[in-house]
Amino acid sequence: MFGFLKDKIKDAVKKFSKKTEEEGKDLVKEETEEVLEEPVKEEIKEEVKEIKEVKKIKKEVTEEVKKEDVKEEIEEKEEPKKGILSKLKEKITTRKLNDQEFEDFFSDLELILMENNVALEVIDKIKESLKMDLVNVPLKRNEIEKIIDDSLKETVDEILSFDNIDLVKKIKEKDEKPYVIVFFGVNGSGKTTTIAKIANKLKENGLKCVLVAADTWRKAAIEQLEEHGKKLDLKVIKQKYGSDPAAVAFDGVEYGKAHKLDVVLIDTAGRQHSNLNLMSEMEKIIRVAKPNFKIFIGESTTGNDVVEQCRNFNDVVGINGVILTKTDVDEKGGAILSVSFVTGKPIVYLGSGQEYNNLENFNKSQIIKNLGL
Amino acid sequence: MVLDNLGEKLRETLKKVAGSVFVDESLVNELVKDIQRALISGDVNVSLVLELTKKIKERALNEEAPTGLSKKEHLVNIVYEELVSFLGEEKNEIKIESKKPFKIMLVGLFGSGKTTTIGKIANYYTKRGLKVAGVGLDVHRPAAPEQLKQALEAINVPVYIDKEEKNALKIYEKYDKEFKKYDVLLIDTAGRDALSDELIKEIKVLNSKIKPDGRLLVLSADIGQAAQKQAEVFNENCDVTGVVVSKLDGTAKGGGALSACKVAKAPIVFVGLGEKVEDLETFNPTGFVSRLLGMGDIEALLEKAKEAITEDDAKDMEKKFLKGEFNLIDLYDQMESMNKMGSFSKLLEMVPGMGQLKLPKDALNVQEDKLKRWKYILNSCSRSELENPENIDTSRAERIAKGSGTSTGDVKELIKQYKQSKKMIKMMGSGDPSKLMKKFKGGMPGLK
Ligand SMILES: Nc1nc2c(ncn2[C@@H]2O[C@H](COP(=O)(O)OP(=O)(O)OP(=O)(O)O)[C@@H](O)[C@H]2O)c(=O)[nH]1
Ligand SMILES: Nc1nc2c(ncn2[C@@H]2O[C@H](COP(=O)(O)OP(=O)(O)OP(=O)(O)O)[C@@H](O)[C@H]2O)c(=O)[nH]1
Ligand SMILES: [Mg+2]
Ligand SMILES: [Mg+2]
Repeated sequence: MFGFLKDKIKDAVKKFSKKTEEEGKDLVKEETEEVLEEPVKEEIKEEVKEIKEVKKIKKEVTEEVKKEDVKEEIEEKEEPKKGILSKLKEKITTRKLNDQEFEDFFSDLELILMENNVALEVIDKIKESLKMDLVNVPLKRNEIEKIIDDSLKETVDEILSFDNIDLVKKIKEKDEKPYVIVFFGVNGSGKTTTIAKIANKLKENGLKCVLVAADTWRKAAIEQLEEHGKKLDLKVIKQKYGSDPAAVAFDGVEYGKAHKLDVVLIDTAGRQHSNLNLMSEMEKIIRVAKPNFKIFIGESTTGNDVVEQCRNFNDVVGINGVILTKTDVDEKGGAILSVSFVTGKPIVYLGSGQEYNNLENFNKSQIIKNLGL
Repeated sequence: MVLDNLGEKLRETLKKVAGSVFVDESLVNELVKDIQRALISGDVNVSLVLELTKKIKERALNEEAPTGLSKKEHLVNIVYEELVSFLGEEKNEIKIESKKPFKIMLVGLFGSGKTTTIGKIANYYTKRGLKVAGVGLDVHRPAAPEQLKQALEAINVPVYIDKEEKNALKIYEKYDKEFKKYDVLLIDTAGRDALSDELIKEIKVLNSKIKPDGRLLVLSADIGQAAQKQAEVFNENCDVTGVVVSKLDGTAKGGGALSACKVAKAPIVFVGLGEKVEDLETFNPTGFVSRLLGMGDIEALLEKAKEAITEDDAKDMEKKFLKGEFNLIDLYDQMESMNKMGSFSKLLEMVPGMGQLKLPKDALNVQEDKLKRWKYILNSCSRSELENPENIDTSRAERIAKGSGTSTGDVKELIKQYKQSKKMIKMMGSGDPSKLMKKFKGGMPGLK
């Protein structure tokens, strides 16, 4: 996850920081002259000794400018003296970026983020935050790289600023049984498979579950869930194809209550968020099943549309948590940022394959670390 | 919605171009930037976009406008040309050869829509009088054979599966002799990640042993930047001959499919617009561009520049109209080109001005339903009925209604609409054919 992104962001930030610092060097030269020429004259009478001192420094500085580490030299010289010297140091070692310079820099970073599947809307947000930190504020020249890194980290941190969630613990903590979870999302995103994976995990944790086939529409949707039920040795609640999915969901919850089960896992048909009829069907399922937790299943491979998808599902039925599947297919992790940015809801797990154990806990700090931030 | 804003911004910029006195570099830059953002937000591969916009920019700054076109018209023309050639210029359909069977294998990522699309394609060719069968070679996904079986049985297409066998090739070989009975054999394969060695090995074996005549890569419309690499490797391993974009009935723009077309040098052959068997259409590049860019009036805006080029085509259509040769096929084409861009409500958004209009949602659904029903009807007509709609009598209407799952009332309404349109066209007599077409569109119910 984020493998490409990590290196590329690092490269872009480095390239830019270096460029900015190098451009800074020309400025340093000009500024040194400008700063030193005038105030020195004014102060002649007062501190002749100091003038000599300053001139010496000036000479050194202008020489050093041509070399690599301007700043360190200056810093050394600066130690014993204050006044104009600190002013001098500031001018030399800080740098302000104007809008244009920032735009140039960001267009590199923007491309990298785009290539890594971060939705445009989220990129714009990152841009805004970075801009606040970088444009028209004095930046210490040697710290530009760090400032950019920090700012990026902070933004990503903010986007992912939900609490990590432990679903198993959450279920166990709840006194009232059963704990009802509804899964939804667009077509083929991995709902049914993920339900099987979660059921497997819950079983391993000693929780009793039932699977509910509330996708009564797609061909073999019921048989698909039943095959998982057989493998996992779990009961599947179903009705005929074409029956009301809300009624099936209701049956499932009743069954869970009657048999004092811990968890009821409700599978629903894939639907496009733009399909009003199907979205109101989803509403009805939620109304009837009264779930404790509503999980949006999205694909990590989805591009910009993931923003529309989870925004719409969130608006219509409300999302409590997100699972992104198929992270094994593509290591660009952009969808993680997009989904978190839009919903602000926790990412409960990541799906990483077709096997039951391909269900990873989401670890925010690991993601940020993977980004190289 | 952000994406709509992008289209809006691009539209504004194009308008600015159209209204500008002269075209300078900063205008070109602005235009190029807007195109980039619109395309990337539609999930077109980033490097492809940069390549495209570089070309547009170079041409815009270096080429002399041909006589008869102003500089700005020329710029708009360049944008249009490059965008359309980016997609492949024309409609591309699979050419079914008359061998038995003509084998079409579907491949793609997990859950992209392969099995569902097989149902749709089977329906498409069956309706066109071909004998179709399907074979299920997905030995991985739970209940995959059952899914294919239910999909094909619903439309009375024979299906060959084996729920026990875990070797895909063996399933194929088991039924090999049977397949000779059919014109078209549709082969369902498991979803796979092109970057998984194991799964790629499997598809390579299937491809080399079965030697399918068509190899279609099914891509979901919402796939992001992963599309490029996937398409590349699928193409390397089974030489993709066509791309199907599924789930275009949602809000995704399908930009990922472009990468696939580019790397495989293969056209988009079908688009999927829903979960039902009828929700399949052939592909229209212009409509796709408009949708991708999130703007409806690209054609209107580009009209003048385009006119110079398409005058000849237009003359043909004009002649047809004038001679009263307009038939249901033309009506169908009109509906197709209108519907290409996605669902009807989506389409309305693209009609200038309509995007802002908040139409009652029910009204939209009704129109959409009607348009859909009409398309099913047209799909159920025979070629001769399409060409000579006058011959559709009550018994034919009944048959068509049955075949399309509609009512005879629906069929009659469509015929009535056709007759009205034809009359209108005759009445308008000669004139600018493109305007004629527009008026005709305006005459369609729901677009008024
Ligand atoms: N590689 C990989 N494949 C997955 C993952 N999750 C699901 N899949 C595959 O994706 C395909 C679709 O999964 P389903 O579970 O049927 O998806 P769904 O959302 O229930 O689909 P519909 O009910 O048709 O909307 C299947 O082939 C799954 O095996 C994952 O994390 N990694
Ligand atoms: N809305 C919509 N849904 C579609 C379309 N095409 C397929 N689907 C749905 O997408 C989901 C996945 O379709 P499948 O046909 O099972 O996909 P697949 O590629 O065979 O999946 P695997 O065999 O698991 O790789 C199902 O819910 C289909 O109904 C389409 O054009 N529009
Ligand atoms: Mg499912
Ligand atoms: Mg399938």
